[in-house]
Amino acid sequence: MNVAARECGILRSNMIYLFCMVVFPVVIIFFFTSLMNEGQPEDMPVGVVDMDNTATTRSMTRKLDAFQNTRITRHFNDIAEARAAMQRNEIYAFLYFPAGTTDKLLSMRQPKISIYYSNTSLTAGALLGKDLKIIATLGSAGVGSAQMSAKGYTEKQITAFLQPIAIDLHTIQNPWISYNIYLSTMLIPGCIMLFIFLITVYSIGTELKFGRSKEWLAAAGDNIYVAVAGKMLPQFIVFITIMLAYIWYVFGILDFPHPGGTWTMMLLGLLAVVSAQGFGIFMFGLMPSLRMSMSTCSLWAVISFSLSGAAYPVFSMSPAIEALAQLFPLRHYYMVYQICVFNGFPLPYAWFNIAAMVGFACLPVFIMRNLKRAMLKFVYIP
Amino acid sequence: MKMLQRINEGLHDMCHIWAEEMKNVVRDEGVLIFFVLVPLLYPILYSWIYNNEVVREVPVAVVDNSHSSMSRMFIREFDASPDTRVAYHCNSLDEAKDLVGRQAVHGVIYFPQDFQTRINRMEQSHVSVYCDMSLMLTYKAIFQTASSVAANINSKIQTSLSGNTTGREDEITIKPLDFDEIPMFNTTGGYGNFILPGVLMLIIQQTLLLGIGLSAGTAREKNKYKELIPVSRHYNGIFRIVLGKSICYFMIYSVIAAYVTLVIPRMFGFVSLVHAPDLVTFMLPYLLSCIFFGMMLSCLVRYRENVILLVVFSSILFLFLSGMSWPSSNIPGTWKAVSWLFPSTFGIQGFVSMNTAGARLGDISLQYICLWIQTVVFFIMTCAVYKFQIDRVKKLRSREQ
Repeated sequence: MNVAARECGILRSNMIYLFCMVVFPVVIIFFFTSLMNEGQPEDMPVGVVDMDNTATTRSMTRKLDAFQNTRITRHFNDIAEARAAMQRNEIYAFLYFPAGTTDKLLSMRQPKISIYYSNTSLTAGALLGKDLKIIATLGSAGVGSAQMSAKGYTEKQITAFLQPIAIDLHTIQNPWISYNIYLSTMLIPGCIMLFIFLITVYSIGTELKFGRSKEWLAAAGDNIYVAVAGKMLPQFIVFITIMLAYIWYVFGILDFPHPGGTWTMMLLGLLAVVSAQGFGIFMFGLMPSLRMSMSTCSLWAVISFSLSGAAYPVFSMSPAIEALAQLFPLRHYYMVYQICVFNGFPLPYAWFNIAAMVGFACLPVFIMRNLKRAMLKFVYIP
Repeated sequence: MKMLQRINEGLHDMCHIWAEEMKNVVRDEGVLIFFVLVPLLYPILYSWIYNNEVVREVPVAVVDNSHSSMSRMFIREFDASPDTRVAYHCNSLDEAKDLVGRQAVHGVIYFPQDFQTRINRMEQSHVSVYCDMSLMLTYKAIFQTASSVAANINSKIQTSLSGNTTGREDEITIKPLDFDEIPMFNTTGGYGNFILPGVLMLIIQQTLLLGIGLSAGTAREKNKYKELIPVSRHYNGIFRIVLGKSICYFMIYSVIAAYVTLVIPRMFGFVSLVHAPDLVTFMLPYLLSCIFFGMMLSCLVRYRENVILLVVFSSILFLFLSGMSWPSSNIPGTWKAVSWLFPSTFGIQGFVSMNTAGARLGDISLQYICLWIQTVVFFIMTCAVYKFQIDRVKKLRSREQ
C-alpha cells in the first residue's frame, strides 16, 4: 500500500504520465473514430475521358456519379491528362469511352470501354475498381434488357436470362462494410497497449535512473513482488479505466457491433491491460537498461500492428513470421476480439489466445529475481 | 573587416559543433540505435512481413444442399481460383459457422436445394456467400471469386440458351459492351507495394525525431544548467549551433535515406519508379524539414527517454494522416489541417506518387513547395528555441558570477 501511495505521488509529479496515460489515449480514441466516421470512404474523386460524348455515355457517367463511393470530379480531354491527374493524386480512377462507343453498341459490333484505377491506395483502388466494373457490366445488361423487352419478354424472364445465378452477399456483423468498425477496434486498443508497454518500462526504469530504486524496495519491505504489485496497481487502475472508457464509447455510444456482450468485452479489456503490463515488466527484467527495454518495447508495439493480422492476414505471411506473431499480445487481443466479441462465439473458441494473454500476464514471475538484483546493484547507464 | 572576421569565426565554430555532434552520435549507443540500426533493419522486417503481397487460397467451407452438376461445377471453379480454396464440405450452415469460429475457414458458400432446379425452370437462382468481416482482404478474395465464377457460369448458360450460330454472336450476346479493367501503378494490387513506400518515409522521420530528441535529452542531463547547450565559447551564436548540428544529422541521413528509398525496394522487388534527380531534389527539403522539426521538438525533452514516449505512438497517427490507408480526399477538414503540420504528410504523399505512380517533380509541386515552407518555418522556430536557450544560459551564468 505504501508503494502504491508513493507511485501515485510519482504519477502526479511528472507531467509525462498524465499525457501518456490519459491525454494521448483519449486523443487516439477520438482521432480514429472521427477520421473514419464515414464508414466507407464516400464520394472519392473519379475522372471521365469521354471521346464519344453521346446520351448513352453521359447516362453511364451520371449513373457512376450516383454511386456511394464515387464522385465524378473532372472530365479530361485524353488519357494522358487523366493519367497525369492520377499521378498527382487528384483522382483515384477514371472511365474511358473511345469514340464510336454508342455507334458500335447500337449496331452490335461490341465496343470496348476501359476502366482504370490506381492501386497506390489499396482502399480507394479496390472500392472504385468495384464501382467501375459494376457500371461497365450494367452497360452490357442495359443493352440486353432493351433488346429482350423489345422482343416482348417479361421482366422476370429478362433478369433470369441476364443473371441466371445471383450472389447473395452476407457480410456478417458488418453489413455496412464500415472501415471504422473494422480498423478502429484494432488500432485503438493497440495504441493503448503501446502506452502500457512503454509506461510500465519507463516507470520501473526511472527508479533506477533517478537512483530511487533502493528507496522503492525499502518501501515494500525488500519484497520485490510487493514492490512491483504496488507500483503497478495505480497504473492498472488508470489504464483499465481508459480501456473501459474506450469500450463504453466505441461499443456503447457509437454502437459498434458486439454480439459477444458486455462481460466478454470487459474481460478482454482486463486481459489486454494485464498482459501488456506483464509483458512490459518482463521486458525490463530481461534487459534492466531503460534504453534497451524501451526501444525493444516500442519495436514490439509498433510491429504488433502489422503482426496482429487485422490488415494483412497472418496466414499469408511467411511461416517464420506466422510463428513470431504469436509472441505479440496484440495478436491475441485481436483474435479474442474478433472471435468472441465481433462474431459472438463463446469464449472457449479462443481458448488458446486467452491462455496466451494470461501467459503474458504471468511472464514477470520468471524475471523477478533478476529485477531485484538489478534494482539493488545496477547503476543507470544512459 | 569585422563582419568577415565574425563570419570566419562562425564557420569555424559551426564546424566544431558539427564534429562534436558527430562524436556524440557515435558515442551514444541509444542515438546510434535510432540513427543506424532501426533504419537499417526495420524496413527489412516490414518488407519481409509484406513480401507475399497478396492473399491466396483463402479457406472456405461449402454447404451444398443442391447436389447438382451445376453446384459442383461452381464449387470446382471456386476451388480452382487462385485466391480461394474449398477447405471443408459441410452438411449444414451451423456446421460451417462452427468452422468459422474455429478459424478453419473465413467464409461459407451455401447452395439452396433448388439451386439447379430454378435454373432449369428459367428462373433466377441464388448462391449465398457469408463472409467473416474481421479481415477485409479475405472478404474481398471470397466475394470477388464468387462473383467472377458466377459471371463465368452465367455466360455459359446464356450462350446455351440463345441459340446463336457463330462464336462471335455468342461473344456479343454475353457482353454487348466489352470492357478492359486496368489497375494502374501497383498492378498486382499487392499489400507491400501499397503500404511500404509510406512506411519507409515514416521511418526516416520518426527515427530522426527519436535520435535528435534522445541526443538533446542527453545534452540536457549532462550540461551544467540543464539546458540544451553546454557552456563553451564555441556555443555563442544561434546559426552556428543550429547549422552545425543539422549538418551532422543531414550527413548521416543522406546515406540512410538513399538506403531506405532505393536499396530496400530493389532488395524485395517492390515497385520503384523514381527518377534519380527528382528523388534527390525531393529528399533535400524532406530531410531538412524533418531535422528542424526534430530539433524544434527536442526543446520539449527533459529526460532522454521521454522522447520515446512522445514519438512512438505518433507513427500510427502520421501514417493515417498521410492518406495511405484512408484516402486523403476523405480525411475530415480538422485532421487535414493537423496533418499539414508534419513533414511526413507531404513526404509520404510525394514519395508515393514518385515511387509507385512514377510522377515527376512537377506533378507533386504542391508537396514539394510545402516541404520547403516547413523547412523554413521549422528552421526559424528552431533558431528561436536556441536563442531562448542561449539567453537563459547567459542569464544563469551571469547570476552565478
